Amino acid sequence: MSNGLVNTRDQQFLLFEQFKIDGLFEREPYSDFSKDIALMMMSEAEKMAVNVILPTYAEGDREGCHLDKTGQVRVPKCFHDAFKKFCEGGWLAAVRSPEVGGQGMPVSLYTACSEFFGAANFAFLMYSGLTSGAAHLIELYGTEEMKNKYMYRMYSGEWGGTMCLTEPGAGSDVGALKTTAKRLPDGKFLITGTKCFISSGDQDLTTNIIHPVLARIEGDPPGTAGISIFIVPKIRVNDDGTLGEPNDVKVGNVEHKMGIKGSATCTLIFGEDGKCVGELLGKEREGMRIMFNMMNEARLEVGMQALGHASAAYEHAVQYAKERIQSTPVWEMKNPDAKAVPIIMHPDVRRDLLWMKAMVEGIRAINFFAAYALDMAKFAQTPEDRAKYLGFAELMTPICKAYSSDMACLVTSKAIDVYGGYGYCQEYPVEQYMRDVKIACIYEGTNGIQALDLVGRKLGQNQGKNVMNMAAEVQNTINRAKAVAGLKQYAAKLEEAYFAFVDLTMTFASLGKSSSFLIPILNASPYLELFGDVLVGHFLLWGAEIAQKRLEEIFEAKGADTIGKRRALVHEDPEVAYYEGKVAAAKFFAAEVLPTVKARCEVIKQGEKIPIEMAIESF
Amino acid sequence: MNIIACVKQVPDTEAQIKVKGDGSGIEEGGIKWVMNPYDEFGVEEALKLKEKFGGEVTIISVGPARAMETIRTALAMGAEKGIQIDDPALYNADAYATAEALAAAIKGLPYDIIFCGQRAIDDDSAQVGPILAELLGIPQVTFVTKLEIDGKTAKATRPIEGAQYVIETSLPCVVTATKGLNEPRYASLPGIMKAKKKPVDIKKAADLGVSGASKSKVVKFTPPPARPPGKIICADDTPEGKAAELAKLLREEAKVI
Repeated sequence: MSNGLVNTRDQQFLLFEQFKIDGLFEREPYSDFSKDIALMMMSEAEKMAVNVILPTYAEGDREGCHLDKTGQVRVPKCFHDAFKKFCEGGWLAAVRSPEVGGQGMPVSLYTACSEFFGAANFAFLMYSGLTSGAAHLIELYGTEEMKNKYMYRMYSGEWGGTMCLTEPGAGSDVGALKTTAKRLPDGKFLITGTKCFISSGDQDLTTNIIHPVLARIEGDPPGTAGISIFIVPKIRVNDDGTLGEPNDVKVGNVEHKMGIKGSATCTLIFGEDGKCVGELLGKEREGMRIMFNMMNEARLEVGMQALGHASAAYEHAVQYAKERIQSTPVWEMKNPDAKAVPIIMHPDVRRDLLWMKAMVEGIRAINFFAAYALDMAKFAQTPEDRAKYLGFAELMTPICKAYSSDMACLVTSKAIDVYGGYGYCQEYPVEQYMRDVKIACIYEGTNGIQALDLVGRKLGQNQGKNVMNMAAEVQNTINRAKAVAGLKQYAAKLEEAYFAFVDLTMTFASLGKSSSFLIPILNASPYLELFGDVLVGHFLLWGAEIAQKRLEEIFEAKGADTIGKRRALVHEDPEVAYYEGKVAAAKFFAAEVLPTVKARCEVIKQGEKIPIEMAIESF
Repeated sequence: MNIIACVKQVPDTEAQIKVKGDGSGIEEGGIKWVMNPYDEFGVEEALKLKEKFGGEVTIISVGPARAMETIRTALAMGAEKGIQIDDPALYNADAYATAEALAAAIKGLPYDIIFCGQRAIDDDSAQVGPILAELLGIPQVTFVTKLEIDGKTAKATRPIEGAQYVIETSLPCVVTATKGLNEPRYASLPGIMKAKKKPVDIKKAADLGVSGASKSKVVKFTPPPARPPGKIICADDTPEGKAAELAKLLREEAKVI
């Protein structure tokens, strides 16, 4: 029976049958791991998610966060015990190096665990996620003193962390920020300014909070090039490690949001009384470059949030559709004695469920592969390999973030459709998935910004080699799938989509060279979606090719030599049912979605500029 | 303190059990295996005693190769070492043969207290702990929800219908754990990494001087009968009519009133 959150069989398929991450365990830095250990960790993650985190999901949403009379933010009460258990389990710093208190876990393996945590309650997961990310900045750029003072206590979960970029007048345009840093005689800085939409900005889970804050040192140039980054504790830390005076960081308010209500989204006022002291992290005017380390990780985590919610919504919808009895089947229309059947028997519901399944498995593959690419970059033996895999991760980051969240919104919406009126009611959990996931399209750079990052920065990165390497991967999948009897026609569909997409990419590249940016920029979002569709087609077909081989092996071992016997096995053997589903989802996606890719590419290439040409007054 | 915790690997409580076509057992394909939940209470109590008094926790399990996962889980929770009794003669062993093998393995070890789950959730026999205590010739307290140890004696609380016993016994003894005793901890990531380096002895029945022969034999597994479909009462659309119809059915068909 399903745990209602994540299909562990599909996770294991991706990790061990498709990407074969156990190859990573052969040498440093992952030689302490084995497949057994990986499975045990995934199983513990499932327990942590289902038994500890999931019970906080609805309760955290109903209770929300509030600012108390003393100016302290209170998170949902049930988060406290769960946070303690989560940190004790070593999950907060799972992917960090053992030398700094982490577990040195491969990112791809942690990603499978994190899908579970995000599916159970992403609002809860944000407190630890931001803490780990902020501590990592100190690990990469901090002095030894800063590491001793802050980093270890953050990785253990004793203190929290945040990421302070956004200001009321500087969201997508970070360069417009107004927070200032004034030099003090001792080399530290006085920080003054207001930051808004700060996740985990204040909370009562930890005794202190360490804020990485973007600010401009007085006299530095405007724009992003003049931004530096500072470490600003909520409460000052004495040299002996004890807590000192409050550091003049005040909470202006806590936002009342559509979703992720358990995550405290705060306005923070730094230095209202002129007493907020920060320490420079890294070099002056390198704040954006430094912060991007955290932002890139955070973007991948947002992709995982999207995946987690989509997965949980799908698992719930399937379970409900198997149990909910309503209406007689359409082929019994004229039979007055026909009995009502589970709604999964109705073609329209069934079709939606298969689309959801294909999409969930597709974005799972995209996100897992990006994580695997990060591991491979560490594991690589040659500089070429390292560059190749790092290139995959960089190229895929905006797709993981934006495509996953856009698709997850649709998946969670369809889950509500499957539940009907009940899905719209709080009594059932799916409406919360839809509310909680919408933010994934917005924060960490809106999906519009992600599309611009893809088109304007990532396509041309590494002289276009990253995108060419990815194209070669897709071509390999097409070639392999063409050799499998039942998949040939679907491989042809992927090939047609792939050619059209490559052609559009070349068009964008030549437009970029001739400084005709408007068409690529105007169509950046549809382009990102096309890229996502081609990647889903690629990963699903790659998986189907493996699944088809496994099926043949099982059929042979069980002597299923006729179609009748093979069909019967689907009902008896859960492995056969899983592999058949894998193949069917790939075929469905190839048959239904991929044929639209070519037409959508053509539309963009026609170069229509109607939205720009139409006057604003006409809107 | 030397503490022993006996664990059994069982199908997950959520697993959908299918009986094999020939009734010789259950289909194991696709089943997720977990530590018997009552044994988890025993392991947790063992770890808490170790944290209080010092010493070692040894995990013992009778089961096939896959049972190693369950031993490793207990080691990841914090136990020091494990013994796996893996012998085909003991696959599908009854409570007596299992307890006999456990007793033989435990006899050579120093121990102050032995924990078992009050029963395993797969066969529900609730006999292994008590038989083990008898074979070792030591006291036993079963279904324990609270345990206080002062180093020499144990004071255990055991619920009975509408009341509870508080039982005092000397050590060593066997305690079978039930829900309420504690909240089992989760294996931590550092615990999992350490667990793989902890020693686990694998023993055969012959190594322990037992035959593995069961005293009872399972003749056949049969699934519970499928639940008959429900009946919707719609004879007459008034509440009175429906109530009359329901009463009639309860008396004549269900024969419960």
